[in-house]
Amino acid sequence: MEYFEPKSIGDALSLLSKHGAEAKVIAGGTDVMVDIKFKEEPGALVNIKKIPSLAGITESGGSLRIGALTTIREIETSAIVREKLPVLWEAAHQFASLQVRNTATIGGNICRASPSGETLTPLLVLEANAILAFSDGERSEAFKTFFQGPGKSAVGAKGLLTEIEIPMPPAGSKGVYLKHAVRGAMDIAMVGVAVMLTPDGGKNSVQEVRVGLGAVGPTPLRAPKTEALLKGKPLTAALVKEAGALAATEASPISDQRSSAENRRWIVEALTRRGLEQTWKAATGKEVA
Amino acid sequence: MSVTINTTINGQAVSASAEASTSLLEFLRDTLEMKGSKLCCNTGECGACTVIYNGKPINSCVTMAADANGAKITTIEGLAEGDKLHPVQQAFIDTGAVQCGYCTPGFIMSVKALLDRTKKPTAADIEEAVSGNICRCTGYNKIVDAIHLAAAKL
Repeated sequence: MEYFEPKSIGDALSLLSKHGAEAKVIAGGTDVMVDIKFKEEPGALVNIKKIPSLAGITESGGSLRIGALTTIREIETSAIVREKLPVLWEAAHQFASLQVRNTATIGGNICRASPSGETLTPLLVLEANAILAFSDGERSEAFKTFFQGPGKSAVGAKGLLTEIEIPMPPAGSKGVYLKHAVRGAMDIAMVGVAVMLTPDGGKNSVQEVRVGLGAVGPTPLRAPKTEALLKGKPLTAALVKEAGALAATEASPISDQRSSAENRRWIVEALTRRGLEQTWKAATGKEVA
Repeated sequence: MSVTINTTINGQAVSASAEASTSLLEFLRDTLEMKGSKLCCNTGECGACTVIYNGKPINSCVTMAADANGAKITTIEGLAEGDKLHPVQQAFIDTGAVQCGYCTPGFIMSVKALLDRTKKPTAADIEEAVSGNICRCTGYNKIVDAIHLAAAKL
């Protein structure tokens, strides 16, 4: 196995172009090291951690920018994330264990493109963008189209995720990330649901709601029919029930060792209801009636 | 491909070579013959290999040895001063927080890191600090007792 520590994005991209599919990018290593030990070594390992400027959280022009090398713990302990992006904070807080959060990077969690990746559904409902570098230039890709399948994303073999750009959520909106797993720490979600809800000015109806579903499809998903159902309506108990049932039909889960597909649909229904109730209460100060 | 690793372990400068695929845990145990950090799951799930890396607890089994370059690392071997055990180690003994003992070095490193960042940990701080450490003898109550005792003594 060849090993490289590029010092710039350009050097990293040259290495990826040269080594093609043989090359693997490593950052925190919490996934890649396991592959190396239990699957196989790549032909070339490209450690991007020595590239300055890929880490850190900055706020500018109505959006928050998070460098790809920012650790999950840095996100969890960021005052601005906690205050303004609680949906992302909750995902970071529930992520694996303290040891893993201290090492794992948000860029790694994203590029791994696991349908159960903890930060992915929050990024979907935040309508965030991936800033990608390729040898012929940089582009921005919405997370809505970024994920292509388990382990597959718009980064491909020759690109590098450099930054995550998150537009600040609409004024008055509230978000939650709910995870269902057997144990609190070190467990992969059976289902993760992210909900972001914005009430109208009078706090009487849903102006906009975004629902993200994790671990119930080949990629993290949005639930567009559920979102459309809720838009413009007062959030009643009957509507919440209907929305939960609809969200369950928008999921396309598989059965595996963590859960049956049927059980996953039940959990999607329950977590969607719970997410709507919690965000409605947080945003309007009222219980769902 | 071999890489040279210049690092500081328990206050001592160390320079050694290892294959690029070597984990920090393998570097400690196999290259440096420091067997205190334990190999167990080798996937970053059990915490038996926990060391303190630049002040933060991490799983050494899923950290590249190459990333130790320029870092300051504390392992279980670095806690005692001669025959005098570190207060966290002594607290584990005094409360009987050890059964088979295999998870103990990892727990102690997580607790050392906790007490380095907060002198008066809450119950939630304690739960979070050791949430990535598994004791398969399931002796968690005694371990929590040990953490309270160590916090009181430090």
